[in-house]
Amino acid sequence: MGVTRKARDARARVWVLAGLVAGTIFAAFPVFWMLSSSFKKNSEIFAYPPQIITEGFSFEPYLVILTDPVKLRFFGNSYLVALSVTALTLLVATLAAYAFSRYRFAGGKTLNLIILSVQAVPPITLLVPFFSLMVTLRLYNTYQGLILTYMVFTLPYAIIMMTAYFNTLPRELDEAAKIDGAGPLKVLTRILVPISIPGMVSVGTYTFMIAWNEFLFALTLTRTEDMRTVPIGIQLLMGQHSYEWNEMMAMSILGSLPVLLLFLFFQRYFIGGLTSGSLKT
Amino acid sequence: MNTKALRSRGRLALLSSVAFMFAAAGCAPAADTGTATDTGSESASADEVVLEFAQWWEPELPEGAFRGLMDEFEAANPGIKVELLSGPYSSTKEQVVAGAAAGTMSDVVGLDGAWVSDFVKQGSLADLSALMDSSSYDQAQLASQIQIDGSTFMVPVVNFVYPLYTNDDLLSAAGVAAPPTNRTEFEAAASAVSGDGVSGWALPLSLEAPNGIQNDVMSWVWASGGSMLKDGQPDVTNAEVTSAIEFIKGMWDGGSIAPGSFTMKEQDKLEEFTNGRAAMVISSLSHINLIRESNPDLNFSISALPSVDGYSGKRGIPYASWGIGVAENSENKDEAWKLVSFLMSESTNQKLSSIANAFPGNTTAVPDFVQGDELFGKAFEIYQSGFPANEFVGLPVAEELMRLFDEQFQLYLEGDSTVDEMLTAAQEAWVAKF
Amino acid sequence: MLAPRARPLLTTFFSTPRSRKGDTMTQVATPAPRVIESRARRSRFFEKLAPYGFVAPVSALILVLMIIPIAIVIGFSTFDNVIMTPESNFTGLQNYVTILNDGTFYIAARNSLFFTLGSVAAHLVIGLAFATMLNTRLLSPLIKAIFRALFILPWLFTVAIIAVLWRMLLNPNGIINYLLISSGVIDVGVEWLSSRDTALLAVTFINVWAGYPFFMVSLLAGLQGIPRDLYEAATVDGAGPWQQFWNVTLPQLRPIILSMVILDMIWTSQQFALIWLTTGGGPINSTEMLPTYTYKLAFSTYEFGLASASAVIILLLSMVLAFFYVRHQKVRD
Repeated sequence: MGVTRKARDARARVWVLAGLVAGTIFAAFPVFWMLSSSFKKNSEIFAYPPQIITEGFSFEPYLVILTDPVKLRFFGNSYLVALSVTALTLLVATLAAYAFSRYRFAGGKTLNLIILSVQAVPPITLLVPFFSLMVTLRLYNTYQGLILTYMVFTLPYAIIMMTAYFNTLPRELDEAAKIDGAGPLKVLTRILVPISIPGMVSVGTYTFMIAWNEFLFALTLTRTEDMRTVPIGIQLLMGQHSYEWNEMMAMSILGSLPVLLLFLFFQRYFIGGLTSGSLKT
Repeated sequence: MNTKALRSRGRLALLSSVAFMFAAAGCAPAADTGTATDTGSESASADEVVLEFAQWWEPELPEGAFRGLMDEFEAANPGIKVELLSGPYSSTKEQVVAGAAAGTMSDVVGLDGAWVSDFVKQGSLADLSALMDSSSYDQAQLASQIQIDGSTFMVPVVNFVYPLYTNDDLLSAAGVAAPPTNRTEFEAAASAVSGDGVSGWALPLSLEAPNGIQNDVMSWVWASGGSMLKDGQPDVTNAEVTSAIEFIKGMWDGGSIAPGSFTMKEQDKLEEFTNGRAAMVISSLSHINLIRESNPDLNFSISALPSVDGYSGKRGIPYASWGIGVAENSENKDEAWKLVSFLMSESTNQKLSSIANAFPGNTTAVPDFVQGDELFGKAFEIYQSGFPANEFVGLPVAEELMRLFDEQFQLYLEGDSTVDEMLTAAQEAWVAKF
Repeated sequence: MLAPRARPLLTTFFSTPRSRKGDTMTQVATPAPRVIESRARRSRFFEKLAPYGFVAPVSALILVLMIIPIAIVIGFSTFDNVIMTPESNFTGLQNYVTILNDGTFYIAARNSLFFTLGSVAAHLVIGLAFATMLNTRLLSPLIKAIFRALFILPWLFTVAIIAVLWRMLLNPNGIINYLLISSGVIDVGVEWLSSRDTALLAVTFINVWAGYPFFMVSLLAGLQGIPRDLYEAATVDGAGPWQQFWNVTLPQLRPIILSMVILDMIWTSQQFALIWLTTGGGPINSTEMLPTYTYKLAFSTYEFGLASASAVIILLLSMVLAFFYVRHQKVRD
């Protein structure tokens, strides 16, 4: 016999690892540089030749942020808003995606088109009318205002993606359940949703990221310091004449750490779901 | 993983997050009752007036300093409270526009001179001349007022002047004994220093924030008593502007300008100087302490912008100010004016300019840092012997004018047009905006 | 083609989940015919209403919060100027004529096209490559988890920071030039963002870096939904890994890929902050895009009427794309 399977696997493993390492350099080097900059003094950040660890290495930017209640509140607000947006968007989107995927109903295609198209309007032109609307609805400077705004931004994406995930699941699943007497809601919650957990996690992840990183509407729709979010906090460090480079980097790193942990926790759901669970392991 | 457990867990998670969200959102209004619903200012108690002051100054000043000044004001004016709303500088303009359109503009707003004309056109700024007259304010104490059609709409509170910074070590190593005083000396110094990773001069021409045209390009014109306007109308094809443009181009072709010019911003220019890669920069006075802190080994001086050879008249020194205005739809204009006059009073203005490292907008105030500090003292001398020059203040769509000029200038520097073509194109573009 | 052969396999899996899961399904005694019929009629009625109920929340939300402002924007586009002037006059389609006669608009459109197509293509390729590598059975779950976390890093940061970071990295005196010069690839530092020749490429590269996690994560989830036995059957048929990728993986992922491509195209064409904060549309107009063009109309020249017209044109262009997508959506049977 020629090359054994084991040998082939070993060779393939090397290739895959090489690819992963190359990918890591591409993905993580800039972030690594961000981390390195967060420990430098402002003047050392632009020094040439660049160094990874400089003389002025200190944790001070981190301490400044962690001991500032205003900045900590920014983190809190961001997490609250992002988590709420994610939960609500998933709920609303799953319902809608079920309808788009499993039903042919009058106005369905038009509604789908509208939902997809509302994302195509440049947000900067929407700013003033949208803002006036929110003021009229008394949602200015509230959590609800931000949450509803972000839901509107993320729902088109969530619906399209959930519809696509549902579309990969054959109708036989639905039929099987309907024969057993299940109504549409039961089919959704007991059959489709459990299989779509990986899809829902990926949609949820992106929804979270959008809500987490958004700046323009967060700034416009909030007025007081106690309502502002992390992206605003970072831009407040970008002054008229000079930037607090190291603090900006530190704030970014600090803010993203819990998000990373959240992602690590939810990662396992990427490999959950019916298919790999029920297949021969 | 058991799908049943997953399913019920998933549902539970969803439901609990939704419940959590509503609970949290339900708590939120408690934090802002009375402020979320009303626009502009509102009364916290029966007779109390709450002024909202939207600015970008607080984060740039020492911790708590600006709030301290507001507390002083509140103590001196019982019945008036000041709420400071701070935002990032780069977004201030859009926020004021949006706020004015939606009726949520703060009573008192921090302004940049480049925005005044357009906000007046929008009708969002109150006529300060009227307020001054009705309160019999002594206008002589104001160093300058920004007026449109004879009425004041903005008062510069503090002025950040932009003198020339020179890295003395780099200059002396290249054989230049003193900071250049005229253009020939400047060009010579710049090329003497350039080479081996060091450039003579850093020129920020970013199109995102094109104030490089104001501070680093047109300043050459103003330093020699020239003007880019004639009777308030664009006149960029005149001799003074042409000579300044050709002067810069000469240095560009000679390789003495730092790389990265076309996307360099003011904040980057500072870093080039602090890291000893640019020997000379035109920069804000407020950077003196910044440079001292970040690079104590850097020996640098302040001087006036070089003028055309042989010019002996007064030199214009570019500046950017922290200006202040009152919202037209404010319900508390008189109280708002009290805050403005407080900030412009000699003692407060002196304190504010001291902590901001800027020059006062009050004619008699003298900031602390001037006495006893050689560099600041020198800067103050330059300020007083010259005149503040910024012809962009009060022009319509001033930022766009800078950008239009910048685009043509970049084309010219790249060699795509001649100086006359470039200036004619800029002139046409400007005239279309007036 | 593998698909037809896959079907019997699929039905084997999915037709017996209930009994396998041990779900309790009680046997109900069959009721009388008349009861069945009225029950059936009622359930048919509810069945018809069901989809409307499911789309009600999102419709309400979008109607109130998006349709109204969009309608206002469309309205604005027919006035000579709004917001920044005390009085506006109705001018009909004049604003559109002005925009379509503006040379800069076409430059912006051309740059936007390059930026969008380049970004989306790169996103897809990188996302697919990473997702496939992260889905391999050759490595332990722990290693895969670590790499997954590393690959998702670009997603965690707000645009302002990404812009600042990359301006730092691509600075003529920055680390990228330093590494390239030290390793001998180039002699002199390249002005990546400040030179007309490289600015558009640089901005596209930054956007590729910032946006590939979207594809990667969505594809990773999609890859989970491909039954392993399809691959087994393919191996039995003698297909190598590359053929399996083309004939099993890609067709299975098709609906997801199509959705992602259309979404990413719409989003990338809206990408404003990244370009604005890195180059401001410069040098000259080499990175001028439709969003920066629109922004300048709105907040630099304060021509909100023109800006709204520009926005509507962008919307119409995107709707063409969206329309074709919606028409071709199909459920897999």
